[in-house]
Amino acid sequence: MKYGFFFRYCLQRVGQCLLVIFIGITITFVIPRLAPTDPVESAIATANMSGQYTHPEAVAEIRQALTELYGLEGGILEQYFNFWKRLLKADLGPSYSSFPTPVMDLIRRSLPWTVGLLLTSAFIAWAIGNLIGGLAGYFSQRGWARTLGVFCMAIRPTPYYIMAFVILVLFAYILPIFPLSGGLAIGVHFSFSWRFITSLLKHAFLPSLSLVIVSGGAWFLGMNSLVSNIVAEDYVVYAEMGGVSNRNILFRYVMRNALLPQVTGLALQLGMIFNGALITEYVFSYPGLGYLTYNAVFSGDYGLVIGIAIFSIIGVAVAILIIDLAYPLFDPRIRHQ
Amino acid sequence: MSKLRKKILLVMVACIIATLTVLPAFAAEKMLEVAPGVLRRETIIIEDPAGRIENPDNFNRWAPGVTTSSTGLQQLALDTLWYIDPDAGISTPWDNSLAATKPIYNKDFTRMTAKLRKGIYWSDGVEFTADDLVYTVETCMAHPGVLAYGANFEVMVDKVYKTDDYTVVFELKKPNSRFHGLFTVRWSACFIMPKHIFEKVEDPVAFNFNPPVSLGPYVLKDYDKTGNWFLWERREDWQRTSLARFGMPQPKYALYINPGPSDKRVMAQIKHDLDVIHDIAPEGMITLAEKNPTSKGWFKGFPWAHPDPTLPALILNNERYPLNIKDVRWALTLAIDIVDVSLASYKGAATISAIAVPPTGGYLSWYFDSMEEWLGDFTLDIDIDGAPFHPYDSSATLRIAERARKDLGDIGNQVPTDPMEIKKALGYGWWKNAPDVAEKLLLRNGFTRDKAGKWLLPDGTPWKISIAVEGPARPIMTRGGTMIAEQWRKFGIDAKTVVIKLLWQSMSYGDGDAFMAWCIETWGGHPDLFWFLESWHSDYYRPSGEPVVFKNPMRFKNAELDSIIEGIQGLDFDDPKCLELGLEYVKLCVEEMPLIPLMSYNVFTVCDEYYWEGFPTFENPYTNPVPNWANSKYMFPMIRPKTTE
Repeated sequence: MKYGFFFRYCLQRVGQCLLVIFIGITITFVIPRLAPTDPVESAIATANMSGQYTHPEAVAEIRQALTELYGLEGGILEQYFNFWKRLLKADLGPSYSSFPTPVMDLIRRSLPWTVGLLLTSAFIAWAIGNLIGGLAGYFSQRGWARTLGVFCMAIRPTPYYIMAFVILVLFAYILPIFPLSGGLAIGVHFSFSWRFITSLLKHAFLPSLSLVIVSGGAWFLGMNSLVSNIVAEDYVVYAEMGGVSNRNILFRYVMRNALLPQVTGLALQLGMIFNGALITEYVFSYPGLGYLTYNAVFSGDYGLVIGIAIFSIIGVAVAILIIDLAYPLFDPRIRHQ
Repeated sequence: MSKLRKKILLVMVACIIATLTVLPAFAAEKMLEVAPGVLRRETIIIEDPAGRIENPDNFNRWAPGVTTSSTGLQQLALDTLWYIDPDAGISTPWDNSLAATKPIYNKDFTRMTAKLRKGIYWSDGVEFTADDLVYTVETCMAHPGVLAYGANFEVMVDKVYKTDDYTVVFELKKPNSRFHGLFTVRWSACFIMPKHIFEKVEDPVAFNFNPPVSLGPYVLKDYDKTGNWFLWERREDWQRTSLARFGMPQPKYALYINPGPSDKRVMAQIKHDLDVIHDIAPEGMITLAEKNPTSKGWFKGFPWAHPDPTLPALILNNERYPLNIKDVRWALTLAIDIVDVSLASYKGAATISAIAVPPTGGYLSWYFDSMEEWLGDFTLDIDIDGAPFHPYDSSATLRIAERARKDLGDIGNQVPTDPMEIKKALGYGWWKNAPDVAEKLLLRNGFTRDKAGKWLLPDGTPWKISIAVEGPARPIMTRGGTMIAEQWRKFGIDAKTVVIKLLWQSMSYGDGDAFMAWCIETWGGHPDLFWFLESWHSDYYRPSGEPVVFKNPMRFKNAELDSIIEGIQGLDFDDPKCLELGLEYVKLCVEEMPLIPLMSYNVFTVCDEYYWEGFPTFENPYTNPVPNWANSKYMFPMIRPKTTE
């Protein structure tokens, strides 16, 4: 009986997840086609802007040839079915701005950078923010807790671009310890060498630091506020009166209870990794998915925009599914229901 | 403290001091290498404005979707028959690069012969011959509309063949006196394919051409798989390339990088990590002028920037009512105060133009000097205080200079004071800001004002106009467009700016009233206007809703203009009558004002004379310094390592 309920619960959640993915992908397919974006016109406009001579009669021929080449012939329904056929074979089609490179190749090249940077930064920020936030919430009367609170409150409204730029100017220009831009030093390529690893870490440090400061500050404030409420709960007061050590109260009773919404937040944030971190990547010239999206939008490359969006939709939907499935494990109240 | 502890402390302090003094020295030594084995003093570091290249493995310049064009590929590794420099050129603006002579046409322009240089070799040791040129044309023609220039060849070329290893003949389908334009670099052109490489490839469209076999003086040494840098090394046999006529390219290495946003480019150049900045915001240029004494622009001082032979303008949709009325277009022009537009867009560092050609290169003498008297005499068909109105204002740039001098504070002394210098740097003049005359022009066309002073169309409805701008993607033009909208609002028109990211597509379909963009692009180093003007002929006119054919997004149609274009088409490229017809075109545009010309596309290309010197400048204009132009190859034999460093 118990297993039957769990099976139904899982099936329901998986079904919801698949439906969300299907609707999300369909919307992603339709929206760029409603927008005044045309990859063929974009290619012609690029040639036009760059000052290359084209005979007027040749323009019509180029338009026709590119429409055929990009597979943009036929009605929207025909394109939609072809799109699903390709997608089910894990083929996202070609990028129009980097034709004929497959969209999957472009995403595959950028994804490791984004995942590496954002995943690491997200976990570090989450761990530090929650730990210090929890401590500061529990020992809220201490001077250091108040100072940290003020610091995080000050960081919270600061636009990320400004924060990132200040860090860049400080540590790459005034104190030239870290590089101004890029993912690796010039001449360094992927290899399992000390040079590669140090170059990678050195280039990732500032973008990561900027993300950790901003995101960690937000986690700090969230945890601080949750813990501040929980410490006034009866069971915490009872534990204190019972002589349970501060350490046990904080980590076993208070933070454990406060952690649930934070775990949900982290899972959602991890799902959003597939969106990339556009501003971070732009400011630090970091070769990730955010910058790829930016270029795709500006060049009218909706094949690529759709590809990235699909990854993002699947990422968020799967993250939500995992939370849904894992919640009963974390929270006995759900198990009980 | 015990003696032992004191000793330990002393040793530790000594170690720290030694580390602090020795390590930076080692670091500085290390900094002299930009990559393992690549010395900084042998390397020129250049910004590629294409940013991060998404597909860095593809060097097939002829294929659609190639994004590596300006990573050094078209500047250093590819070559073609002719180049026209937008400025003066090393000896003349025209250069026979792979060609031995200028193009040779028969009398009726149905055949063009290209004579090729001997002794030019590809980087893999194979000689460049007529076979390569014939192969390039035939291969592109076999994939019309897909491979670059294929559609052009398909439309124009009947037959292409060689008569010997160094002579190629093109039989044309129709008389065409400008066919050589396809092989003449302005920013780019049809480059020559290595036949011996491409003929072995099954699909020339899908071929990556990696590593590229070079016909220029450099070969690709290394590149970043994430598309942030491309390193080129001088060929050992550089003497066997067309550029060798001007001497050895000086840098052993050329590194094209994506340095990131404007502020980072400024920081990188102050640190001497970026020798040539392609373009930065005027504010960045001002910072460099203040902070880095080795940073040099095209002009010694203000406005620093290189005026590209491209004319940003307010492109009016001549099909849309009431913009189809000449008086209305003129009224809009007279409602603009160019001084404020120049200060808002370029902080005054604009080179303004009242006429429909850019004020750059040889155009100053060919067009601007020639037109000055005519412009002074030109009157609008309207009387003001009993006399015909002269709209031309030759003192506009003097006012811009004066305002800039005040605004720039400490470096205001870099703004020229000599009227002749101001003319060359900031332009010859513009149209008067005369809202009273603009009002009369509108009133006589049935326009009225409401109680609040807002303009109403003759049918009594409010007159609204929107100016499309690209927003943060092109901040200078956006600022200029915003200022114009503000001036028109002040004049009583309900004007606004609309940010359209894909402005060029929108403009192509005529989806809007006015666009801050450009459609007039000239050679700069040659007075012929045909290459942009050809598509203004009414044969190529397309109504709004259909994509425009090449360069007439105004959708301007005029019989007189048709005959000017046909006249130019029938003349040889170098015939002096082309200039006469060009001047007729300029006069027609003044009278009709199909678009409102504003200024040249000033590019703040800044060269750092810390490691290298001898970059092109207004005083020594041997080439265009803007480094994504293929013409910038001429910089390489002309610059010199800075010996004092």
